[in-house]
Amino acid sequence: MNTNILDIANLHVAVGDKEIIKGIDLSIKKGEVHVLFGPNGSGKSTLLCAIMQLPGYTITEGSVHIHDTDTAELTTDAIANLGVGMSFQYPPKIKGVTLRRFLDSISQSRDLHSSIAALNMEPFLERELNVGFSGGELKRAEILKLYAQSPDLLLIDEPESGVDIENITVISNAINTILQKESPMASRERSALIITHTGNILSTVHADVGHVFMDGKIICTGNPLDIMEDIKKGGFSGCIQCIANHKEKQ
Amino acid sequence: MNSYDEPTLQAMKNVAYNLGEDKSATFFARDTQIVDAHSATSAVEILPIEIALEKYEWLRKLSYSLVSADQDSYVEEVANNPANLGYFIRVRAGEKVVLPIYTCYLIDSSRFTQCTHNIVIAEEGSEFHLISGCTSNVHAESGRHIGVSEFFIHDNAIVTSTMVHSWGKEVEVYPRTAAYVGKNGTFVSSYVALGSVKSVQMDPKAIIKEGGLGEFYSVIYAPEGSVFDVGSTALLEGEGASTQMISRVVSNGGHVLTRGKIIGEKSGGRGTMACNGLLLSDKGFIHAIPELVANNPNLELSHEASVGMISKDELAYLMASGIEEDRAKSLIIEGFLDLHIPSLPEYLQRQINALVEETKVFDTI
Repeated sequence: MNTNILDIANLHVAVGDKEIIKGIDLSIKKGEVHVLFGPNGSGKSTLLCAIMQLPGYTITEGSVHIHDTDTAELTTDAIANLGVGMSFQYPPKIKGVTLRRFLDSISQSRDLHSSIAALNMEPFLERELNVGFSGGELKRAEILKLYAQSPDLLLIDEPESGVDIENITVISNAINTILQKESPMASRERSALIITHTGNILSTVHADVGHVFMDGKIICTGNPLDIMEDIKKGGFSGCIQCIANHKEKQ
Repeated sequence: MNSYDEPTLQAMKNVAYNLGEDKSATFFARDTQIVDAHSATSAVEILPIEIALEKYEWLRKLSYSLVSADQDSYVEEVANNPANLGYFIRVRAGEKVVLPIYTCYLIDSSRFTQCTHNIVIAEEGSEFHLISGCTSNVHAESGRHIGVSEFFIHDNAIVTSTMVHSWGKEVEVYPRTAAYVGKNGTFVSSYVALGSVKSVQMDPKAIIKEGGLGEFYSVIYAPEGSVFDVGSTALLEGEGASTQMISRVVSNGGHVLTRGKIIGEKSGGRGTMACNGLLLSDKGFIHAIPELVANNPNLELSHEASVGMISKDELAYLMASGIEEDRAKSLIIEGFLDLHIPSLPEYLQRQINALVEETKVFDTI
């Protein structure tokens, strides 16, 4: 039995005429948290958008399976309803739609009281969605959205960008709760693919696998803390050098 | 209490005329027949216009003083109509009437032309909230409704007037409204039309005196086959008079002209206008025509207008949250039309929101 929630095979993605993702393979098992490191413009966010089949992102080759279902012919909402929730880096403002109304539309009557309190979002429930929200408030609203959706696979784009230290703690705690981090690994049902530019989120959210993503490809996979340490020492150019040295040895 | 058949009750409900709701006064007319006109408080006087004009000689001088009887062929038709249908409402000086006054005109017969003439008087320092529903019964798909309304809002008085329309597909509607807003008085006019109609043509006007305020809000959903030519005009006649006009229009195949005109005469006048349109289909159009006329250098007048389609980013975002496309579009449209009117009491705003929720007809998206 395939215990993978996500299976990506030889994925190529274009935005307009330009190929951004140039053939990647990635599988995420139930309960696993993967982290994607990579410089700006490397295609990390494009990967998440392509998984969701957002408009403007064209899969030109390869496949994405969620729970063994090929998503090629599915619409974005159908993919979400397979159990995928995405926290956007830059969610749009939606005037006239309150946060409460939005949550009611997606929560299927789940009780969100404790999640709303944990993320300090009570004062925002009657506010228009994302309108006038600060960086930290946007991220907290996005994580609250994930609570409401209760997905099996969380796609989280740069949870720490534009967020102060206090908010990072709140957001990290919430992500850990959604990912059932208090439970033993074997009983965790949810998985995540988290994009991070700085890696700061790793100090509070435990990840199982790390990938370095550059120029539309995964060039390295390993222990996320080790990878982050290497990136801190040598930057992403160090990653390129490391791969070149590795190839030379082979 | 009068008993009504199910289609009539539904038609009433479509324009928020809920029999169970607490009201300070009510007026209900079917075709030319006045079914109900009564007040629950001595603060509010409500009478059929014909009786009021007989009773009060002074009222005859006010009649057709704000809307001229020869203004256009529609007003002439009302002025010459033998039925003399309409209401007179007066709220006495200093009275703050909390519960709303509800009125409702129903076209019950097909191809019927309903002519109405209303005079509303807010005496000095009074305050009240009027909700006027105009609707046609389910079996009366065609017809005409021509309504002349004259509001006299005396010094320091506050009147909110919310007009809600729900019509058959072949009904033509010609409201002719004008308001006099006295010193430091307030007139808040809101118009909600979310269903089918053949055509609506109206341009309510307010003459605003010193320190007075006139606010105009309209929320329109124009389905295919409908024609709306709606606007508002504010004449800032007194020093420090101000106005605000906001319209939100969704065209899903309907033809919409949305106008606004602010004329500033005296110093210290302020006026803002915002017209936002959402065009869902290439069968319809939205033509926004904002006009500002400044006849004094010490005025602050401004306008903004925007017309566009549903944002692809917003739609994708909602769909990525698991909301299917049609529902996501409805949510965006509902949000767009959810106009918060700051001058309305909270309970009235809630009532209007509930009405928008109930009467929205977005099934043709």
